[in-house]
Amino acid sequence: MNDFTEIEVELKRLRPVRVGDDFIARVERGMEGADSATPSGGMVKRRPRFHINWLALGLGATAAAAFLVLIRIDNFGSRRSTAALAANHFASPIPRLPLANALVPDGLTQVVYNTRDEGVVFPSNSPEPMRRVRKQSRETLQWRNPQTGASLRVTYPTEQVDLIPISGQ
Amino acid sequence: MENVVTHTDWKDRFCELAPALVLFARQWVRSAADAEDIVQEAFIKFWRTERSIHNRGLLYATVRSVALDAIRRDGRRARREAAVVAEADTHVDPVFELEDESQRALASAIDELPRAQREVLVMKIWNELTFAEIGEALGISQNTAASRYRYAVGALRKNLQPQ
Repeated sequence: MNDFTEIEVELKRLRPVRVGDDFIARVERGMEGADSATPSGGMVKRRPRFHINWLALGLGATAAAAFLVLIRIDNFGSRRSTAALAANHFASPIPRLPLANALVPDGLTQVVYNTRDEGVVFPSNSPEPMRRVRKQSRETLQWRNPQTGASLRVTYPTEQVDLIPISGQ
Repeated sequence: MENVVTHTDWKDRFCELAPALVLFARQWVRSAADAEDIVQEAFIKFWRTERSIHNRGLLYATVRSVALDAIRRDGRRARREAAVVAEADTHVDPVFELEDESQRALASAIDELPRAQREVLVMKIWNELTFAEIGEALGISQNTAASRYRYAVGALRKNLQPQ
């Protein structure tokens, strides 16, 4: 770094243009306005933090819908087999097994393969600075039929953006 | 450390920081008036949320964020920004009080730096931020900030060496 001493001295000799008094006065008025607009003498009251992660919500809803569709298909199939067996249903003393031929949820895997810290941002609808973190992942939902061993897997990419409040103090 | 500071402290501190903050904001806009508007908005946002004037990294992050928001918000500015971005690495207007020809050459060499390097240089030289603070403000690692700074200063030195 010593190699840079000379050029650093030269750089420090360069002075940015001074700002006008009117600009300082304008900012001061803005600060006063901010004070009067803030209850309790300018002390900031932090609002409770709540934000909806719309992407996660959407993915969750999609997964739930896919699950319901599968359940419905499965019920339809078991209803048909129930009808076919109706003749000896009452005669048999053995109760019918509830999970005769159904796909049941077997697992959810989330693999985060990239996390990027995009730095501090100041969202327009938030009074506080936040750190934006973008996560890219791949989620796999899996269903399995315990009787036949058949399984169904759905894999989809996801991207999640988190705004994390920072104290800065 | 005293976190709650008086209005006068803030004003004095702002007077010290303002020229360098405006210089920093000039990287995204061409005119001094636009840069002052950005600094004003950013500083008041910072003033509303912070009770400490020591967090300079956050102050610079706020200026940067407000500058980028302002560009996105304003359609005309966005178009102009697109043009600026297209030539981003060749044109920015840091405004210095130039005293002689060597300073003019130096200012011109700074103009020619890539934006990412110039950003770090402005924060380091004229605001004396640490690399950790710069990293926090720009969302990059401390090492990346230091490396960009070294590239910038190295390029300036090379540029100004007599041929």
